[in-house]
Amino acid sequence: MSEPLENLWAAVVNGEERKLQIAQSTRLVDVLRTHLNLTGTKVSCEVGRCGACMVLMDGEPVNSCLVMAYQCVGSEITTIEGLHGEKEDELHPIQQAFVEEGGFQCGYCTPGMVISTKALLDRYPQPSQEQIETGLCGNLCRCTGYGGIIRAVRTAGENCVSSFTLITGEKKVNDL
Amino acid sequence: MLLNREQSGKRWHLRPDGVGKVTGKLQYLTDMTLPDMIHGRVLRSSYPYARIVSIDITGAEAMEGVFAVLTSKDVPGLNRFGIATPDQPVFCEDVVRYVGDAIAAVAADSPERAARALEAIRVEYEEWTPMDSTEAALAPGAPVLHEHGPGNVLHRTEIKRGNVEEAFAACEHIVAETYYTPRQMHAYMETEGGLFVPEENGRLHVYAATQHGYKDRMQLSRIIGCSEEDIRVVSSPIGGSFGGKDELNVQPYGALLALRSGRPVKMHNSRKESVRAGLKRHPMKIEMQTGISREGMIQAHRVRITADTGAYATLGAPVLNFCTEHCLGPYSIPHVDVEGISVYTNNGVSGEFRGFGGNQAIFAMEGQMDRLAEIMKMDPWEFRRRNMREKTDPGPLNQRILGTDGLSQVWEAMDRSELWQKHQHLPADPSLPPWIKRGVGAAIAMHGAGLGYGIPDPAGGRLSLNAEGKIEVAFSYEEFGQGLIATLEMMLCDLFHCSTSDLSIIIGDTDRVPHSGSSTASRSTTMAWMALQRLQTPFRSKILSVASTLSGIPADELITGIGGVWRKGQLPPAVTANDTTIDSRVVVSYADLAKDGEAEEWTFDTHFEYPTTPDNVVGGHYLYTYAAVAAEVEVNTLTGEAKLLDTRHVVAAGPVINPMGFIGQIEGGSVMALGFTLTEDAVMQDSRYITTNLDTYLIPTIRDIHTHLEVEAIEELPEGDPYGPRGIGEIGSVALAPAITAAIHQATGVWVNRLPVPRDQLIKPLDVPLQEGVNRS
Repeated sequence: MSEPLENLWAAVVNGEERKLQIAQSTRLVDVLRTHLNLTGTKVSCEVGRCGACMVLMDGEPVNSCLVMAYQCVGSEITTIEGLHGEKEDELHPIQQAFVEEGGFQCGYCTPGMVISTKALLDRYPQPSQEQIETGLCGNLCRCTGYGGIIRAVRTAGENCVSSFTLITGEKKVNDL
Repeated sequence: MLLNREQSGKRWHLRPDGVGKVTGKLQYLTDMTLPDMIHGRVLRSSYPYARIVSIDITGAEAMEGVFAVLTSKDVPGLNRFGIATPDQPVFCEDVVRYVGDAIAAVAADSPERAARALEAIRVEYEEWTPMDSTEAALAPGAPVLHEHGPGNVLHRTEIKRGNVEEAFAACEHIVAETYYTPRQMHAYMETEGGLFVPEENGRLHVYAATQHGYKDRMQLSRIIGCSEEDIRVVSSPIGGSFGGKDELNVQPYGALLALRSGRPVKMHNSRKESVRAGLKRHPMKIEMQTGISREGMIQAHRVRITADTGAYATLGAPVLNFCTEHCLGPYSIPHVDVEGISVYTNNGVSGEFRGFGGNQAIFAMEGQMDRLAEIMKMDPWEFRRRNMREKTDPGPLNQRILGTDGLSQVWEAMDRSELWQKHQHLPADPSLPPWIKRGVGAAIAMHGAGLGYGIPDPAGGRLSLNAEGKIEVAFSYEEFGQGLIATLEMMLCDLFHCSTSDLSIIIGDTDRVPHSGSSTASRSTTMAWMALQRLQTPFRSKILSVASTLSGIPADELITGIGGVWRKGQLPPAVTANDTTIDSRVVVSYADLAKDGEAEEWTFDTHFEYPTTPDNVVGGHYLYTYAAVAAEVEVNTLTGEAKLLDTRHVVAAGPVINPMGFIGQIEGGSVMALGFTLTEDAVMQDSRYITTNLDTYLIPTIRDIHTHLEVEAIEELPEGDPYGPRGIGEIGSVALAPAITAAIHQATGVWVNRLPVPRDQLIKPLDVPLQEGVNRS
């Protein structure tokens, strides 16, 4: 027996349109991990405290454990699997910076941390310490003591600024 | 050496597991799925202490989509587990002893159905009053939780030497204080879980986190009633452990459900269930009396330790041993009277946790040192120096230990440091409002590594040239985040001048690795290093002799390098690049070498024991690491909030193999200790958790951490030291608490004796002079 039509869920996940027959009360974290097998998004506290399940929903960072399927129908969801460098098999500058600075240990918080960093740097390409703390205080890490993460975010900020300038430059040329 | 990326130069080694982790592509064991898998759930006790009158599973069994419902009657082998003392029931038969106790387990075709099946199980209890404290459990006439008593005592320890009574009578000053430490939670980000797969050949594959795959396999075989070889345990990568996943957790349930249903079973604890059932750090009450002579020399030390070990033993006894050993600190004390007791209660189970009882002991002992120094009106660091043990002195248990200069070196390095110098002349900052107070404190520690005398502590490893021509190393150690794989890569590249692309590193799989002991007690790095020291010579000789035969060049003119064997003098400077092209100067490639002869000829094994003291002192350690920590703290006396401004860790643990890993372990341990000191406590009321998740159990966030933190490594070891780099997994977490509370004392005059620091003790009316020595318990 097919699911009723009202249970049709559709969203753009990592640039690709995805449709599922699921209960509208399904949590986004389960949509991603269970139904779409995108296990890069982690599950940990399930009350929106730890940030392990952070994804971008229309560009904004959200705890996917707190978002229900019906709340993100038609949204654009970006998970850690959707983040990459200029080429698909390259690391995003943020990911590269986490690797170089040792901004992870067990790595379980890392996808959420990277996603929050993406949201932070999109808003503040060269964030102040205060902005880093505000941007990442919703993500818990138990291993690193955050030292490596802060260094990674700073490095990523510097790297992202250069690529950001490039894109802006191109855009300006196009606008002209 | 101050450790950071710049200072590390070429030693800054990128972790091989980094790309998988930052891209989310790395599959943790809890991320694994199989098409026909079902979902397991555990029914846990409704009460902390009760008799089970009846269990009715018929409703659950009848439900659609339910594949298995198990109770104690369905355990084919031993219905108990526990690393040291197997006293924890897989499923309770007649009595429940804590809220995490398992009564039944189900497997169903969806997590939701499994949850509904749990609700359909009817359990009738006769509720009893829980023993929610060690006092209640030790009260005369208290019910006895386990047969192996006496009473509710799991374990007792003592150290007695000299004549404490006489020594106290002759002392000039005596400080008596009682210290309390919290029930800290490991709070690893990945909760317990995994996948349990019955294979067609009758074997069971277990994909679940543990710090010791072989120990899990042994325990599971005992529960299932099968041979150990019938089980394969895959146990890495792990999303954090810190000691918390060393015991079995979901494994018995996943294994039994998979065998019953004949299908792969996925288990993954919710955070709430993880809190409810999982291990915690032992809450302890430590009473200390320490007496000094007129000259400020410690003469007498009396200690009474009471540890709440909760409902089951797990490693409660070894933790108490460790605490007892470490409550003398690195000091020379002639008259000692220490007694420890570990007590069963109906509270959550306490077990292994980074620092292993050292954290509690060092907080108390270093607190005594600061109080005594103040009575002496002496600089607390100088007071410590006077009382410090000599290099050749026996260890805390009067056992012979390996002498190094570590203690005096960390003392001196801290003494010289700018941060500690501030203690003497803390500049008044006129820009600060009057309710903000600042202080600087410091503490010192010696911390044993390895399991200690009298406890089997096997080590070993395997080195081979595999069929693909890779230098393959295999250990039964686990990667739970500490960076073990990166450290192994660096050791191998150092030894064989090869590239990381020449290597194959195998850990965390009982089918593929030899038994080389556990990843606990800061032992893996040392044990891996020692194993490679033993294996490198025969391995290299074999390679060079075969290369010599194949090339006609004498073996003593050859050397191992990138891609294969080189002529000496032609080998480029060591690099660890991932370059897979074979340089034309390579005399014989590893791949060509591997084609020569059988696999066994290319495989070298070693087995040995972790080094222990030659003296018959159970639990006594032989190798120690040393650390000094200084902390500058700012206290807001309106809110009672303490903020850590500046911290310096000096660690003497021998050569730094992997600087990124070393910094990460010390920074991470330090922040974990910050939580232990200021915010973390898994609060129980009537033996039930009040803080059930990370919204009320507060681990440090990026906002709460040290504004500044420096790590200084002292790498010197005695010449010819055969033990190499010491593990540093725990040393960063053991001495921060007393440094912070000393700083709080300088800032506010309050002697804190309870962790996490009670804010109300630090809130002071502005117009009332601060009183010294004020304690509220």
